[in-house]
Amino acid sequence: MPGVTLSRWTMSYFAAALAALLGAELLMAAGFGYPRAGLQDPDTLVLVHLAAIGWLSLLMCGALFQFVPVLVAKPLYSNTLPLPTLIALVGGLALLLAGFLRLGGHLTINVPFLPVAGGLLVIGFGLAIWNLGRTLWQARPLPLPARFVLVGLFGLAATVLLGLVFALVLGGTLSLAHFTEVTALGVPIHAVAGLGGWLTLCAMGVSYRLLAMFMLAPEPGTTRTRIALHCGTAALALAVLGGLAAICLDFSRNLALALAGVPALGALGFYGADIAHMYRARKRRRIELNSRMAILALASLAASVLLTLAAIGLGLPDSAVAASVFLVAFGWLSGLGLAKLYKIVAFLTWLECYGPVLGKAPTPRVQDLVTEDRARQWFWLYFAAMWCGTLALLFDAGLIFRVTAAAMALATIGIAAQLVRSRRLVNVKSEMRLPAGASRPRLLLCTSSRA
Amino acid sequence: MTHFVEVDVRPVLRDGGEPFEQIMGAVAGLAPGDGLRLLATFKPTPLLHVLASRGFSHEAKELAGGDWEVLFTPSDVDWAPEPAGAAAAQDGAWPEPARFLDNRDLDPPEPMVRIMATTAEMAKGEVLAALLCREPLFLFPELAKRGHSWRGAFEPDGTTYKVLVKIGGAAEAA
Repeated sequence: MPGVTLSRWTMSYFAAALAALLGAELLMAAGFGYPRAGLQDPDTLVLVHLAAIGWLSLLMCGALFQFVPVLVAKPLYSNTLPLPTLIALVGGLALLLAGFLRLGGHLTINVPFLPVAGGLLVIGFGLAIWNLGRTLWQARPLPLPARFVLVGLFGLAATVLLGLVFALVLGGTLSLAHFTEVTALGVPIHAVAGLGGWLTLCAMGVSYRLLAMFMLAPEPGTTRTRIALHCGTAALALAVLGGLAAICLDFSRNLALALAGVPALGALGFYGADIAHMYRARKRRRIELNSRMAILALASLAASVLLTLAAIGLGLPDSAVAASVFLVAFGWLSGLGLAKLYKIVAFLTWLECYGPVLGKAPTPRVQDLVTEDRARQWFWLYFAAMWCGTLALLFDAGLIFRVTAAAMALATIGIAAQLVRSRRLVNVKSEMRLPAGASRPRLLLCTSSRA
Repeated sequence: MTHFVEVDVRPVLRDGGEPFEQIMGAVAGLAPGDGLRLLATFKPTPLLHVLASRGFSHEAKELAGGDWEVLFTPSDVDWAPEPAGAAAAQDGAWPEPARFLDNRDLDPPEPMVRIMATTAEMAKGEVLAALLCREPLFLFPELAKRGHSWRGAFEPDGTTYKVLVKIGGAAEAA
């Protein structure tokens, strides 16, 4: 049957992701990891992976299982795989964090956490890539936004495989020369492939469609979008293949990464021009909170480009590298993620609850499921705290950074509470809430009723 | 070897004309197993989808001077003169639409709300025509649950999606 149904486990992915975000923010507020510890210290790695896998990757996987079918107008290849995928990812992440805690001396049990974690994460992400890849494969020729996701999946594969090599080498199971070199020097490539390839390219692809959908803006499909895609692909290939070749052949890794930076700048520039055009050409004049907050995330992306260029100009001091990575992860990716979550949770909940009774009974509008006035303050607190946090990292102000992280945690709780209210239909007037034939959605599961 | 019938719509396009009728006419006139060689001034993406729904695979290449050549090849099994909608293969001609909706400027999911509300007022066998600004992917499962059938495709402009809904059509065909 053509058409797209609700992805059953997407809300569970979102809930697990938000819990991980909150966990990462609380750890930062408690002073765990950077700046108290070094950038590649095991404590910092706990924090980074809790945010990158727990929050951003689970959020992205949950969103892709729901929206890749929308991008390509084909059903998801498997609706049963997302649950085992989630279990493998959460289990793998837990063991990975345990492995880093053991490396950092916080755990003294003698268990080979890292290799097992690596294996589980390869299984989890492998299942996600398989499921999404098969969905894309049956939809060829792919529309442009879906091609961004496809390249993003290659970025994910590269990130995960590099991570597996690190886990095996650090866990003592692998000691071949090239692999040890890759482990010693490959961390920036792993980070670029993850944040830039996997998360940013997928966020770009999905944002094209979601912004067009929720602002009644023209779909991208111009030469500009195409160039953005080609530049992004070239940047990922140069960073991963060029970077690894440089490490194994004793060339300069940083030169390979700098070369990748050129098409990366092009990709972001053309993407920015596309998005600016979509905002200008939108038919809907008054845009909703999610589209307004997405502007702050996009501004953070632009700022992170400038910050990264400045960091390179300054000779890559730790504080500038940390501030850039923080702004990409918590400004651009998290900001966009939270803004879009606010819309899609309400949208999917509306569809699940009221879709079956449309035309049979009066139903509320999607906007009746949210109270933007209440949510707005939490979004502003989040972005303000995150920008102050970036500056605090840049200027090595550890205590201020902890305060801003605490404020981000508070804002995250506020936003999550708004999402729960949408899901529980608390904001809908009681006489409209549950018309005959509608049933209240469960918090963590989407149910697609069948005729 | 597939035999290709050539249709060159470049002159029509250069004169600002609309070649969709001409192309669909040529497609309708193809003998079973024949392919279509289309020459156009741009890559006709919407048409690729339309003909894919009729069982044609395509191979597009850019020619010198920015023109495009697209070879449409019929796949052996799917060749069907009717669009491949939910129930299109089972029932033939549909009646003229009894109701029309232009939902192109509405925020999602308002187009779906209106279509479902209108279909609820219509009699079995009647057809609703609606214009939308994208393929209504979340609508189709709801139509299926209510036993309606539908046909839909992008218009030649590539931005308007036209869907026809036949009330109770799925039950009728079954």
